[in-house]
Amino acid sequence: MVDNAKLKDVAKEVISREDVRLLIGYRPGTYGFRARPAFVENSDQVDELIFSPACVSNLSSYLTLEEKTPLPRGVEPDLRKVAVMVKGCDSRALVQQLVEKAYDREHILVLGIPCRGVVDMAKVENRFPGVISGEIAMEGDNLVFSFDGKEETVPKEELLAEKCKRCRYPTPLISDLLLDDEVERFADDDYSDITAMEGKSTEEKWAFWEEQFSRCIRCYSCRNVCPMCYCEDCVLDRLKPVWARRSVDISENTVYHISRAYHLAGRCIQCGECERVCPVDIPLMLLNRKFYRDVEELYDYEPGIKVEEKPLLSTFSVDDKEDFIL
Amino acid sequence: MAEKVLKKEKVGEALKELSKFRLFAPSKSNGTILYKQIEDPSDACLDFGNTTVPAKKIVFPQTETLFRFMLGNPELKEKNVEEEGTTVVFGIRPCDARAMGIVDNLFSWDYQDPYYLKRRELTTLVGLACIQPPSINCFCTSVGGEPFSEENLDVLLVDLGEMYLFKAITEKGEKLKTTLGSQLDEAPSDAVKKSGELADKANVQIKRTIDTKGIPEKLPTLWENELWKRVSAACLGCGICTYLCPTCHCFDIQDEVEGAEGRRARMWDSCMFREYTLHASGHNPRPTRRERTRNRINHKYSYFPSKFQVIACVGCGRCINLCPVNIDILEILGQVVDA
Repeated sequence: MVDNAKLKDVAKEVISREDVRLLIGYRPGTYGFRARPAFVENSDQVDELIFSPACVSNLSSYLTLEEKTPLPRGVEPDLRKVAVMVKGCDSRALVQQLVEKAYDREHILVLGIPCRGVVDMAKVENRFPGVISGEIAMEGDNLVFSFDGKEETVPKEELLAEKCKRCRYPTPLISDLLLDDEVERFADDDYSDITAMEGKSTEEKWAFWEEQFSRCIRCYSCRNVCPMCYCEDCVLDRLKPVWARRSVDISENTVYHISRAYHLAGRCIQCGECERVCPVDIPLMLLNRKFYRDVEELYDYEPGIKVEEKPLLSTFSVDDKEDFIL
Repeated sequence: MAEKVLKKEKVGEALKELSKFRLFAPSKSNGTILYKQIEDPSDACLDFGNTTVPAKKIVFPQTETLFRFMLGNPELKEKNVEEEGTTVVFGIRPCDARAMGIVDNLFSWDYQDPYYLKRRELTTLVGLACIQPPSINCFCTSVGGEPFSEENLDVLLVDLGEMYLFKAITEKGEKLKTTLGSQLDEAPSDAVKKSGELADKANVQIKRTIDTKGIPEKLPTLWENELWKRVSAACLGCGICTYLCPTCHCFDIQDEVEGAEGRRARMWDSCMFREYTLHASGHNPRPTRRERTRNRINHKYSYFPSKFQVIACVGCGRCINLCPVNIDILEILGQVVDA
């Protein structure tokens, strides 16, 4: 696992560089075992930085989330680099953002973290309820929880996030500085749940999704946290014309989720953030992984792998399969 | 008058009796606890912490038709809330009930909101005291509440193990007691004493606290303080903290037209969304999440108390528990105190 002392040293060096204006990393959260995003602007702030299996957030989302206000006359925009810490899965978001030319490569400085997995915080809090403050470390195939002056060891398999159990790219696919030794692929997605879903009848599938989508409160946390949902003017916020109504009901909720899933086809990089943040536990990755597998099988394409790649849906080859066209 | 209890084995029966009304109770949906209209008592789940979505959605639905209209017909067909009939919310947590009392101030202030107020009038709140705080981020005792608070409840149930102490608090509560007549039993002599002991125990189990005294007066002096940039830096701008807040009450009104017919509907809105304050000109007086976060805190802890003498936060902890990036209102308030 990443050595936190080394991480702070690297961060100090990076934020002291004249061409870097901001470093986005992680720091301990305010309660329980949580960690949260940290925004470091000077070297005095690096001491709080950490990396641990509690660092679940995909920080690449912040590169496109920043809201810029008009500058006063005579003030030049700060075009220095933003340094960002990314795990393997998160790094794919950077790659895909670059494939789509969301910003220039020179705009970012990537601090890569080879990752052996992060926890599912809901499972952790279920396992250790009522803990006010604690830390998580990974030792071999175990997670070590320190709290209230004691330590408990749990096999990582039990509390790891589901996405990590399917992770194909634990080592960042893009990085300027790698903070640890590379981690070999230790898992893959067998899509067994997707296959099971595909085997159901249309009626069964509809009943399933109707139940899921009926819980949606349209807080848009799945959209806002998504590193690939970075349109400045989202079609769902448009009031003229209205594409999806603001009313919250099964019909509009379905429009919302299906639109989002299609917009992510060939773009979703499997970071699983949408599913993690959903307050009502809608299994959004079931949809995204279905598209992911289809894209992989039909076009032999995985998004977020190579910066030189072209976006899937803006390329055409005469060999492309078309037997699914009605 | 002797106190009553509802034995646990009779809860199903009681819910069946109450299902002749519009009955809501916590229910498990795919692992998430949400209020659901109960027809089959076995759908109710009273062994829960708190619901993800607060009970406000029952009196203030996320989407609500105000009236319908039709091309060529000058008459508006207004929604008649009365038709919904008597509503019972069974198992509401004391914080969520307190929140309704707080929101009542707003909906009966300069305009008497007929939809909300009628629904409130029709609704009986049967509370379930928190023997244990449902989460480590519960801080009701810092904002005027308590795990056993009776404020704004019609009935308070206290889990005594085999049975619930059934304490009718208001006239509506007494009426419900009569309705449930045969499902209720005489309370054992020590029931009230036991309930008192549990209340004392629950109070000290609240682990996170903040002294809110002085915060409403201090907030206006911190308008340009650098703390707002710091606490909002990680904000994603989603609606979790506001939609799942039992006191947040902002709404938007939209006309939805299909062919020659349509409806005017109102729906929850969130000050954390960019379009919330976006002007038609393109100007936005709250251009970034810094201003939006500042507004959220100021509304709850400054504007609302200056108007209605009560903080618009009940310490349920949902905004902390469910924030995807661990933005923590207690930490923000701590920084306000320290600023």
